[in-house]
Amino acid sequence: MNFRDWNEQQDLTQFLHHEARLLDEHRWDEWQKLFTPDGLYWVPLAHGQVDHLNHASLFCEDTLLRSMRARRLEQARAYSQQPPTRTVHVLGNIALEARDEVGCTVRSTFLLLEWRKTEQRTFGGSVLHTLRRADDGWRIQTKRIDLVNCDAPHEALQVFL
Amino acid sequence: MNSVIPIIPIAATSPIDIQSLVQPDRVHKRVYTDPAIFELEMDRVFGQAWLYVGHESQVPKPGDYFTTRLGREPVVMVRHTDGQVHVMFNRCPHKGAKLVPDGSGSAGKFLRCLYHGWTFKCDGSLLSVPLRSGYECTALDLKDPQYGVRKVARVATHRGFVFASLSEDGPELKEFLGGVATSLDNFCDRAPEGEVEVAGGVQRVIQRNNWKIFFENLHDTIHAVATHESSWRAAKEEHEAMPAGTPKPFEVVIVDGNGEPLEFWEKLELKGYDHGHGFMEGIFVPPTDPVSLAYVASLEAAKGAEQADAILRVNRHNTIVYPSCSPHTSFQQIRVIRPLSVDRTLVEIFSFRLKGAPEATFQRTLKYTNIVNSPSSNVMPDDLEAYNRVQEGLGSDGGDWVSMHRAAGRDQPLPGGRASNGNSEMPSRNMFAAWAGYMGVDTGAQTGSAE
Repeated sequence: MNFRDWNEQQDLTQFLHHEARLLDEHRWDEWQKLFTPDGLYWVPLAHGQVDHLNHASLFCEDTLLRSMRARRLEQARAYSQQPPTRTVHVLGNIALEARDEVGCTVRSTFLLLEWRKTEQRTFGGSVLHTLRRADDGWRIQTKRIDLVNCDAPHEALQVFL
Repeated sequence: MNSVIPIIPIAATSPIDIQSLVQPDRVHKRVYTDPAIFELEMDRVFGQAWLYVGHESQVPKPGDYFTTRLGREPVVMVRHTDGQVHVMFNRCPHKGAKLVPDGSGSAGKFLRCLYHGWTFKCDGSLLSVPLRSGYECTALDLKDPQYGVRKVARVATHRGFVFASLSEDGPELKEFLGGVATSLDNFCDRAPEGEVEVAGGVQRVIQRNNWKIFFENLHDTIHAVATHESSWRAAKEEHEAMPAGTPKPFEVVIVDGNGEPLEFWEKLELKGYDHGHGFMEGIFVPPTDPVSLAYVASLEAAKGAEQADAILRVNRHNTIVYPSCSPHTSFQQIRVIRPLSVDRTLVEIFSFRLKGAPEATFQRTLKYTNIVNSPSSNVMPDDLEAYNRVQEGLGSDGGDWVSMHRAAGRDQPLPGGRASNGNSEMPSRNMFAAWAGYMGVDTGAQTGSAE
């Protein structure tokens, strides 16, 4: 499925860029408000994973768990955030997957540079945003991130990808 | 001015006097930092102890395999056509190639080497080689067992949990497990059908620390309130932000418990057993949410209320099966500890389904795994940060000895082990007593048991 027109493409592209920027700038509160009340932030553990309830995930977070993570990152004694993680997202290949009366599904790819303490890590993969239309813009129903190396051994993943 | 002559650390050149590094209540930093000691551990600790390989349910059908590492050795667990589970070196006896790719899968009816097509039955015995006639009248006798895949010295199972030892000698598995066999029993008894199975994928975490630092942490109760302040505070704040009277969600309970004061942990009991094993009395009050209640009902229906109650009263937090794994009986997971180098450790987390329990019980197990132990856990990053700072600090000249003095000399003897209060460093002393034994020395620690 293609974007209807340039305006629709711009609208959704800008939304994704805005979301990524909120994460890179640690604006966790604003980022959380992008989700619907029952929205899911999901990073599968397995390639092609279909189920987030009966299979372990790298992240499987509802409103409560997203909020708990954001609160932890900002605690004075979050020792694993001394110094804090820095990230930059680079998005690409933004494409419309589906559209219906309540919203749409957008697929994109991303590269994420992450720096903390002594090491730069690189993550990459594809993202599926299931979006719902609200009065003042888009809300995220599901953000699913399929990392290329989802099933690798990882060191701590602290910030939202 | 900087010297251009490289400084060679003394540790790298001097012979190792292990006896001088271990005392009843403290150990020398070199046991955590010296690569030569790590190599000795691979030979002597991991070369002798029974090591957890995996669970039989990971290879349900003939030809199914699962690879892992025992010490330095790549091994493969395979189910033979007769149903027997074998553990052998993942190495073709011909040119040495790893026979199966790392991971798990099905090899079919036999194992076939990718390099020259030598094939083996799933018990490791040689089935066929290409150009058999080429070996006629040579010194290579294809009937010689050395041309089968080499098996590890000993394999034994306990309630479906497969263990292997790289040494022909040593105690039988049951004797080795001693008092922690009851943790593995309770792990299975909690299933209405009395059996468990691995399911739901494997979480893998890389730690930048010596493997022993992680083991010591498993029963280190007093780090929780300090190290985990960021996550227990976040969880408490989350609950406080909910409308008054909201019951604590499971997600909060399993995180904010680390904020309990030291007096809480003091009252728990720690048990240490010979060979370095032990367990901690459960820190979680049995939950009363609908998922938990439905599970208890399923266990009562299968076993009767009295027996179900007896099973659930065994309420343990981490169990240590030294030096290879840590089962969590009440949340159905096993963390497998694989040392990679003196300062790198891989922890693999397996989740288990209780056969006969409602599906939601397993979903809760995964929730615990996701929230507390996955790489993205909110709890673990501060542990990893602490372990790494310990590892880096121990590499300095700022001191030589690591203390294990807390509550030393106050252990109570038990059959095959010893008990202490929850804040004692008995587990560390107990593990080092076993470590020293494997390494061929004696810490002189109080290890008397009431046998």
